[in-house]
Amino acid sequence: MSTLKRTWKVNGQTVPIRAPAGRRLLDVLRDDLGLVGTKESCGEGECGACTVIVDNEPVVSCLIPAGQLPDGTAILTIEGIEKTRIGRLIQRAFLECGAVQCGFCIPGMVVSSYALLVKNPRPSTPAIREGLAGNLCRCTGYTKIIQAVKLAAARLPKRK
Amino acid sequence: MTKPQSPPRRLIGQGMMRVDGDGKVRGTTRYLNDLAYRGLLHGAVVRSPVPRGLLKGITPDPDYDWSGITFVTAADIPGINVVHMHDRTMPLLAELGGEIRYRGEPVGVVAARTPERAAAAAAHIRLDIEVLPPLLTLQEAVAVFKARPGAFDSMKDQSIVKGDLARGFAEADDVLEAEYWAGHQEQLYLENQGLIVFPQKDGSILVEGSIQCPYFPVHELNDPLQLPPEKIRVRQTPIGGAFGGKEDYPTMLTGYAALPALKSGRPVKITYERNEDILFTPKRHPVWVRYKTGFKKDGTLTAIECDFLLDGGAYLTLSDVVMFRGILHCALAYRCDNVTIRGRVARTNSMPCGAFRGFGAPQAIWGLESHLDAIAARLGKPPHLYRLQVHARPGDVTPTGQVLSGENGSTACLKLALQRADFARKLKRCSRGRLRRGQAKWYGIGLAFFGHGAAFTGDGEAKFKAKGRVELTRLADGRPGIDIRVSSTEMGQGVHTVFTQIAADALSLDPGRIRFPLADTGLTPNSGPTVASRTTMVVGNVVHRAALDLKRQIESFASRRHFKGAAVELRRSQLVAPGRPPLPFARVARDMLAELGGASGFFQFELPPETKWDQQAFVGDSYPGYSWSANIAEIEIDPLTCEIDVKRVTAVLDIGRVINPVTASGQVEGGLTQALGYALLEKIGTGRNGLYDAARLQTYIIPTARDIPEFDVQFVEYPYTFAPPGAKGLGELPMDGLAPAIANAVEAATGRRIRTLPITPEAIFAALHPAQGAPAS
Ligand code: FES
Ligand code: FES
Repeated sequence: MSTLKRTWKVNGQTVPIRAPAGRRLLDVLRDDLGLVGTKESCGEGECGACTVIVDNEPVVSCLIPAGQLPDGTAILTIEGIEKTRIGRLIQRAFLECGAVQCGFCIPGMVVSSYALLVKNPRPSTPAIREGLAGNLCRCTGYTKIIQAVKLAAARLPKRK
Repeated sequence: MTKPQSPPRRLIGQGMMRVDGDGKVRGTTRYLNDLAYRGLLHGAVVRSPVPRGLLKGITPDPDYDWSGITFVTAADIPGINVVHMHDRTMPLLAELGGEIRYRGEPVGVVAARTPERAAAAAAHIRLDIEVLPPLLTLQEAVAVFKARPGAFDSMKDQSIVKGDLARGFAEADDVLEAEYWAGHQEQLYLENQGLIVFPQKDGSILVEGSIQCPYFPVHELNDPLQLPPEKIRVRQTPIGGAFGGKEDYPTMLTGYAALPALKSGRPVKITYERNEDILFTPKRHPVWVRYKTGFKKDGTLTAIECDFLLDGGAYLTLSDVVMFRGILHCALAYRCDNVTIRGRVARTNSMPCGAFRGFGAPQAIWGLESHLDAIAARLGKPPHLYRLQVHARPGDVTPTGQVLSGENGSTACLKLALQRADFARKLKRCSRGRLRRGQAKWYGIGLAFFGHGAAFTGDGEAKFKAKGRVELTRLADGRPGIDIRVSSTEMGQGVHTVFTQIAADALSLDPGRIRFPLADTGLTPNSGPTVASRTTMVVGNVVHRAALDLKRQIESFASRRHFKGAAVELRRSQLVAPGRPPLPFARVARDMLAELGGASGFFQFELPPETKWDQQAFVGDSYPGYSWSANIAEIEIDPLTCEIDVKRVTAVLDIGRVINPVTASGQVEGGLTQALGYALLEKIGTGRNGLYDAARLQTYIIPTARDIPEFDVQFVEYPYTFAPPGAKGLGELPMDGLAPAIANAVEAATGRRIRTLPITPEAIFAALHPAQGAPAS
């Protein structure tokens, strides 16, 4: 298999990537870069546990071959999210609302919430449900997660 | 003079933030697959491709390169080929010459340097099996049970008899009989099963992994591995959900990994991918339950006769106790003098079923709560008024003869739920198969009422005597603090948080000085498995009492050492004695650690001495306490597509003292959502080859953020005063009753009663159009 040579921007840092071309983005992040905050649950694009942000779009990293991502691709994972103001607001709101149980879905949930709030800082409840519909959680029943996203949104600085 | 002290701040009853939340929102909590280990082998399980047959040969492909690969079969088992479980019948690996009893039954384990190499090698093991005809499903077993009861293969029978059934039916004005079915349900914890077995130099093993009950492998594998309990040490890694799914199964997985680990001398990791996890780990037992009930014109129940059959799968494992819990809930919630319940565990050629939140109770309550609505309809009584008339309350006698105590919020749950949901008024708006003025969809509202026996069944807690310690220690910052040492595992339910609250209150210390290390059987006393809604009730009491024990020791040390024998109290992190300046806890604790080397409080749980249980007769106090709940579901159904939308769910629960209302309501919302999936979405069939037909999240559908209703969760508190702080069971209760509440709402919306779970749009369509069958899709 041919070897991939790329340079990506991962969580704001320029990172050289060397990997077999067919390798999943999820494995590059977890195994090669040690960014194990991103989780794998289904490996088939159905659960959202592996959600990361690629060039401002949330994607399931278990379905993306690393070879698809050109030089300069910007990737944001849970490890990078907390360096952002929105990310920290979301994390705090999750804690305050009791939105966390076993925690396995939570990095993906936080990343999807981040992607949602960046695009839509004042989401309605249906918009939040829609924005998180790709992220399965077996513990919480989603209610407190939705509340947390609302709380984080309410605390976002108002844009002019 | 000392200042008057304000009363200690109480954490119990407050929504304290989770102690394990920070790492979880930041992604820094390390689950098993996030931990890097060197020199591991990866195990792959070799499975039977047929559901039944005689295992005639196991042959590694001679043309395959086996270098660096360890392969084990039953012949490598050092001791007896059996996993103890409840009846010592299930082999760890299928025996050569023996019978294969389910599709996927483990025949061997391959271990190699990478998971890919292990999987490839496993595919090169040739199995020679003489195929035998299987009995795959509960449907087939029930057909046998009805037609030829003598040929029905039951792994365990148990009856409950109260009063005189014949007399009860003789007194009845009317009799109603019906059958109810439900299929498998998969726990679907998001973190798949996984663990590592590290062989030690002294021949013992260390196990690390996502394990709900760390003491189970310690006590269930002694015969096959020829290791005494002290040579099997189990450490929990953070658990990404379990719900019972990591109760019994990790024992088997430990066995599978231990064999190649002992043979190769290298640590072996087995972790499943999602498909393997869905196909080959235990699920909730399918049920068939038949009720025959007699009642008077005024509604009085005179007779309840019930047959309760669970599909146990190929081996009993723990299905006997699941069935016990089931039959103990088959007629728990209603007054009736004449009751006969017969429970059975059918043997089928399928993966043994196991623990899943509720443990038999949801199956029983599914039948009973559907049937009770049907009786009310027959009587012409509204379902809520009928339940108010006949529900069990303090002083009533259960089918096993237990007198329900006054610590019982059954009536309060029912009344508050009815009031909050405005049930009586909304019941009149139900469509019953015809759109009313202003309705675009059929509307229905449904109620279920139920109790849940908290803690181990019967005299389990009396025999077990849960143990725990609370230790004075030095924390990571070098300053003194407290370690809670109990074997209860954090799986998301919040035990680390609520036990921190309990210990902090008992010791009157800041919760930040209290630590709750992950369970490790080498360090943690056995406070029992984290199951049966027993943890906060029973082990919470152990923590409370052990903390009080330690508090007394700290106070008496301080009295001797710092206060010249005066009476001293530990209060708000200070040692205080009348007329003297207080000393900070940290100062006294440091002296205590230096001079005594440490200190620890201990407690061992016991039930009240008057508790009586006769396992043989199945008579007596079947549970130490009961939690209660009423669930109300409001739904809409599209008359054309038959799609069901659950709009609102009201749940009122009596779980005794609520330690943390935020984690508690989170448990309830999560449990109700699992119950919603059970009611409407989660479906697994079995193909002729014995393989489940749903192996992926594309085909096994669980609720998403789009599917959930608005929840109204309320608590009424009737504490279990025998065991302060007085919690009763919580974990399982929210899973128990929403499915029948939804079925009752479907009946109110459509005029049709559906008696099989899950209630899919196809099932509703078929009920509405019996001649046409299912719609073309
Ligand atoms: S692991 Fe990628 S979507 Fe489930
Ligand atoms: S918190 Fe456990 S899966 Fe979401």
